[in-house]
Amino acid sequence: MDYIINNAYVVDPINKISGEIRDIFVSNGRITDEEPKGAEVIDAGGCLTLPGGIDSHTHICGTKVNFGRYMSPEDMRAGRAPRRKGMRAVSGYSIPTTYGNSYRYALMGYTTLTEGAMAPLEARHTHEEFKHTPLQDGLILTLFDGDWGLMRAVASGDIKRAAALIAWRLDAVKGYGVKLTNPLGAEMWSWGKNVECIRKPIPDFDLSPAEYIKGVIEANEMLGLPHSVHLHCNNLGKPGNYTCTIGTMGLVPDLNEKRQTCYLTHVQFHSYGGTGWNDFCSKSEPVANTVNLRPQITIDMGQVMFGRTTTMTADGPMEFNLYRLHQDKWSNHDVELETASGVIPVIYRRKNLVNSIMWAIGLELALQVKNPWQCLLTTDNPNGAPFVKYPEIIGLLMSKEYRDREFATVHPKTGTRVILPSLDREMTFEEIAVMTRAGQARALGLIDRGKGHLGLGAEGDIAIYPIKPDKIDPSKQYAEIIRGFAQTKYTMKLGVMISKEDEIVADNQNRTFWCSPKVPEAYDMSKDPDLIRTFDRYYSIRMENYAVDEDYYLTKSMKIETETTL
Amino acid sequence: MRRITLILREEVDPYLPIEAESICPETLSKRVDVTVFVGNEEKKLKDVFDIRVDGEAAGPAATEIILVGDCHQVKRVGEYMTDGKIIVDGDVGMHCGDFMNGGTIEILGNAGDWLGREMLDGKIICHGNAGNYCGSGYRGGRKGVRGGEIFVAGNVGDYCAECLFGGVIHVKGDAGIHAGSNMKGGKLLIEGDCLMPCGDMFAGEATVYGHVTDFLPTFKETGTIIEDGHHLTVFQGDVAHRNAKGTLRVGSFDRI
Repeated sequence: MDYIINNAYVVDPINKISGEIRDIFVSNGRITDEEPKGAEVIDAGGCLTLPGGIDSHTHICGTKVNFGRYMSPEDMRAGRAPRRKGMRAVSGYSIPTTYGNSYRYALMGYTTLTEGAMAPLEARHTHEEFKHTPLQDGLILTLFDGDWGLMRAVASGDIKRAAALIAWRLDAVKGYGVKLTNPLGAEMWSWGKNVECIRKPIPDFDLSPAEYIKGVIEANEMLGLPHSVHLHCNNLGKPGNYTCTIGTMGLVPDLNEKRQTCYLTHVQFHSYGGTGWNDFCSKSEPVANTVNLRPQITIDMGQVMFGRTTTMTADGPMEFNLYRLHQDKWSNHDVELETASGVIPVIYRRKNLVNSIMWAIGLELALQVKNPWQCLLTTDNPNGAPFVKYPEIIGLLMSKEYRDREFATVHPKTGTRVILPSLDREMTFEEIAVMTRAGQARALGLIDRGKGHLGLGAEGDIAIYPIKPDKIDPSKQYAEIIRGFAQTKYTMKLGVMISKEDEIVADNQNRTFWCSPKVPEAYDMSKDPDLIRTFDRYYSIRMENYAVDEDYYLTKSMKIETETTL
Repeated sequence: MRRITLILREEVDPYLPIEAESICPETLSKRVDVTVFVGNEEKKLKDVFDIRVDGEAAGPAATEIILVGDCHQVKRVGEYMTDGKIIVDGDVGMHCGDFMNGGTIEILGNAGDWLGREMLDGKIICHGNAGNYCGSGYRGGRKGVRGGEIFVAGNVGDYCAECLFGGVIHVKGDAGIHAGSNMKGGKLLIEGDCLMPCGDMFAGEATVYGHVTDFLPTFKETGTIIEDGHHLTVFQGDVAHRNAKGTLRVGSFDRI
């Protein structure tokens, strides 16, 4: 079906359109400038029209998410909705069923999702769940934080071999990019320990996190991957960790002109000052200033919102510390030779000083990073909050009045530990469009594939919100902004209407994007004797059984072949 | 006063579960023309039960429902009830009195699993035995029963009073394994024996007059008392949990 969208108030930062009333033509899934014949006409009536939303860091599929579901049966009692025409029954709030995720994202206008961390050995499960996330395109970042082969290659200074290993594994597990979670921490966690910041080498490998991060960034650029290294820094959630974060930012060279060279995720959890929980405070200012000085870095907020949620990360030691803090149910898991993970349900409370400061830090980061292309809107779903809180975060960013009102309800001592009340910035619709679409598309290297914009030839991912930007003052009418961003009038993906008002009207639209770098014959790791020996000796699975079968596991495979400089 | 007598029809297949949350004074005080699910089929209440209505009701408080017959497959009787009375002349199925907020349920026979799950207030009297999870929370929940009173004259199954938060649970007979685990308040009294009670107890009072098999090592002995002629040893715990404030009194025990 082709579409003509009339009277759309278009905000499209990539094509430098900010608030023009214009018509959009969608034909064969793409945006064209010719009026298609026999097309269905939709009257947008001057409503805010944006490219389809992109989430550059979320946890919606895979063993970790599923384990969160096992251990929190109480979560499944929230967010229940019965089956409706064309929609399945769904349940769950912070870790809903895959269909629940997909429907809620679609209603918010999101069409592309990035699963933030996949253990390579558990890739099959992740792909199976993506298969049942019917309305969004999937990108899956693959964990390399404790990969023995890669660690040995970087420790011996052989970056080309490191690049070849990344290429082989991405191709084998159908991953999109490289994720480093608490680099080398997973390896230390197998010994019951953790790494301290980035300079101290770990035993057995004689490699420090700093060397490892630099080596992997270099290897990533050699492979010409569309996304940069996706980095979750060391020392997550520890008071005083901002020095470590700034140190890590200092390691990042500027190697790519099209996008950032390193993407630091959920920086809110990495901008803490103080020496312990008693003098815990915000250090968002130095972190944001470092980002402002370094165009090669993009960060995302990892905003914390109050309420019940579930934390899940490949940062095993951090989850163990969190368990000791909360003394609630907890799970930790080791993935042989590759990575680790942990899952814990938490509740962020307004009455809690630490939680209130965390809430403020995320907003401070977004408001202090001058260039919205460098700070993207996420909650690290569901670690900071479930993604259904995005509209509230947009409201907070667009309205100082709303921020002040919310600030009055948090712990009374918060004011002495944060600088949020002194920040006056109120974001515009254009900046929000950058933080939720254009910036995300650039950070993930998806602009060339037609995502994140509405220019000629772009994919027909369109979200029309019931907000009339001409007639609304976001700084005052924030309640309408939140309502508007919570549910689109229409969401389209690749030219297919997927949701109309609060109804889902399509199924099976998902595709999986994955990268296969073209490496020279000499660097083909499938014949590498060392890697074969590793599988034979240490893995509980044969190398032949390791690779994910494309035909069976990927619903619609979108292979991206990249040119390498090996 | 309105009295509604429901007699289970003989032709109803005893192997099909009947989901009957509509058997509740709130609903039946207004009308008896309601539906229940038998297996996966929605049926009228009058197709499943013979109904007899006596008198007029001024509201749920003046309503009495009497269930007659072997209702062991009738589930969710009295769910969310706030007032009035239900008498079950026979057995009743799972989830009887869930989320109950007032009123009385009297069961002359045995009750199924999850009796009085997460109840807030009201009273349940069971003259026979109750199944597993009697007076508990649901899976994964942090707060179980928050108020009210459950009395079981017979035995109860496993996980009785799990996550107990308030209210009183009184068992005349024996309890199964893990009674009162995760207790956070309220009172639990077991007159018979039980197995490994009160693991990960946070607060509240639990008493076992009989013998505790495999008593947990994570309880700290603090003294002895005599209550109702029973010589009891008092423990504080569960010290595996940080800041545990629970009290557990047991008649006799053998440690793991």
